[in-house]
Amino acid sequence: MKLTSGGYLTFYMPERKRSIEIQLNGPTPLKEILTDLHIPLEEIHLVALNGEQADVETAIIRNADVVQIFSSVDGG
Amino acid sequence: MYGTTAKILRVDLTSGTFETETLSEEFYRLYPGGKALAGYILLNELPPHTDPFSPDNLLVIASGLLTGAPVSTATRYVVSGRSPLTGGYGESEAGGFWGPELKMAGWEAIVVKGKAPKPVYLWINGDQVEIRSAEHLWGKMTAEVQEAIRTELADEKVRVLQIGPAGEKLVRFAGLTNDLRHFNGRNGLGAVMGSKNLRAIAVRGSQRYQAMAYDAKTLLGIGGRLAKDVKENPLSWDLQVRGTPGLVEPLNAGGILPTRNFRQGAFENMDDVKWEAYEKELLTARRTCYACAVRCKREVAVDGRESPYGGPEYETIGAFGPNCGVSDIHAIAKANELCNAYMLDSISCGATIAFAMECFEHGLLTVGDTGGLDLRFGNAEAMLTMIEMIARREGLGDLLAEGSKRAAEKIGGEAAFFAIQVKGQELAMHEPRGKYNVGMGYAISEIGADHLVVTHDPAFAKPDAIQLKAAAPLGITKALPPRSLGEEKMEMFYILEKWGSLEKVVGFCFFGPAPRSFIPPEDVLLSINSATGWNLTMDEALQIGERATNMARIFNLREGFTRKDDTLPERLFQGLENGPLQGNAIPRDEFDASLTSLYRIKGWHPETGVPSRERLEALSLGWALEMLPQETK
Repeated sequence: MKLTSGGYLTFYMPERKRSIEIQLNGPTPLKEILTDLHIPLEEIHLVALNGEQADVETAIIRNADVVQIFSSVDGG
Repeated sequence: MYGTTAKILRVDLTSGTFETETLSEEFYRLYPGGKALAGYILLNELPPHTDPFSPDNLLVIASGLLTGAPVSTATRYVVSGRSPLTGGYGESEAGGFWGPELKMAGWEAIVVKGKAPKPVYLWINGDQVEIRSAEHLWGKMTAEVQEAIRTELADEKVRVLQIGPAGEKLVRFAGLTNDLRHFNGRNGLGAVMGSKNLRAIAVRGSQRYQAMAYDAKTLLGIGGRLAKDVKENPLSWDLQVRGTPGLVEPLNAGGILPTRNFRQGAFENMDDVKWEAYEKELLTARRTCYACAVRCKREVAVDGRESPYGGPEYETIGAFGPNCGVSDIHAIAKANELCNAYMLDSISCGATIAFAMECFEHGLLTVGDTGGLDLRFGNAEAMLTMIEMIARREGLGDLLAEGSKRAAEKIGGEAAFFAIQVKGQELAMHEPRGKYNVGMGYAISEIGADHLVVTHDPAFAKPDAIQLKAAAPLGITKALPPRSLGEEKMEMFYILEKWGSLEKVVGFCFFGPAPRSFIPPEDVLLSINSATGWNLTMDEALQIGERATNMARIFNLREGFTRKDDTLPERLFQGLENGPLQGNAIPRDEFDASLTSLYRIKGWHPETGVPSRERLEALSLGWALEMLPQETK
């Protein structure tokens, strides 16, 4: 699966990379993937799974999936 | 007195004379710079109903208490006057280097009145002040003028604050720029300066802020520590890496990226205008403001060469990109350059062109009106041509130079619905249908639609998120949904508004203090107290912010503004056309009830929004009671 980050969540990504690819052994809860990466769930404002909004608590991810996670962002 | 030069330079352009005013500490503690100082001067010295373009209008330029202090993001100064765009209290802040240089030259503020018989610029070299001819500079682009002034004064380090040709032509959303990259964009104050035949203010100083500070060692210590924190705080780290262009993709994902004149919340060609496209196609270097470790500014290439005007910020990308339906990032960068060369507010300019595009698509404007331009959404070439027509007041540009509200009144019919403005000022590129406090900020702001009134709602959506935790010293501890209103949300708004106003008083950038960014509120307070030797509490600091917003409120009441002006464009009470928030609208009745709550929380009359005697006296503003119109008392 491909995991892409936006806003300040990139700060928490491995090596602060915007996106990474992860090989899954099978369908895996997103929450588990993010927890393993030490990405704080409380900072996740939005999740898009293959372009559609998804729930970080319930989303199940497969190897072909593209997941985008975003923090909140402000103006300025 | 510490932390301030305590001197105001008063300039009368009609007579060509100057005076120096010295501030007392008693006064400065109540009005310590920026928004507060400007508000006090305008309220006390500007007669009500003064024509914004009359020589009697004042142009007040005030640095904040901490402007120039060795603390990241403390760089801002305020430009103020009666706004030709809104007719109300006018104000716009900018960072860069000019504000700190003014302080180094020994001045807190400049108050300009009158009108020079011919174009001039001011040259402030420490305590030496001179009015010089600008006849040879009139009509020239800002980059050329900056270079000419520096050459003329034989000093490459002179900081130049100036208007452009758009300000000379009295475009109602003309702004000011310093160093060609930092902008007092909003509220048309560049046109006020233009109406005074004042093209520029060049400044040079040598006095370090630390020399004025009560406890320079502590102040330097805070500055040094914060400079290290920038890279370790996710919020400031993101600003450093992506800058504001990084907002495009997350806002689009949330369905709150203003698209096609706020009809839509998601842009199908977002990939063409997001940060990665910007980085690949435009970016050449990074820059910063005075003594700021955040380094959020960007340099770009335009037309195959390094632009002298810096790169587009998010607001400009949003205004000329998705909101005009344009996906050509090079055209957006060109639009940014044109706005900065002519010195137009890129938010109001882009939003006004988007308004014209919608009018065109509905047949309210025709090719006969546009001079043959096919002014449809997405036509980047027509958009660029229209920017220049506005700046020069040519053809349809002359009408659009009046701003979308006035233009809509002339065009008639449905056009008023397409003018996405509050109090005459166009909305910034933040969609309030996904963050209701931003909408409340647009509605209640004294300067018309402004996106910098409060930290935006999503920051406080989750109980354990860093922004909510960082807001605890302000008294904000409970997570509330972005799409909610009501009593608790208005209590949050009230605190955040005071805090945001304080930032504009003391000279902090929106990208400095928490909860928006990385500087803990305690360090803001410690910076103020180290600079001044005061022993302000957080409550007293918030009261300074509240005092400033109340003065601006009274200014507007005196000009005839009422509750009906504290509202939103009709479109926002209707559903978004696309994206994740498709169909979502701001609930009108709930919004209205919350406005009543907010008035009450602020100590204003819950129906009329007039500040009460009790609140004004508590804010040491009893003197302003007599300025309230008789019918509102």
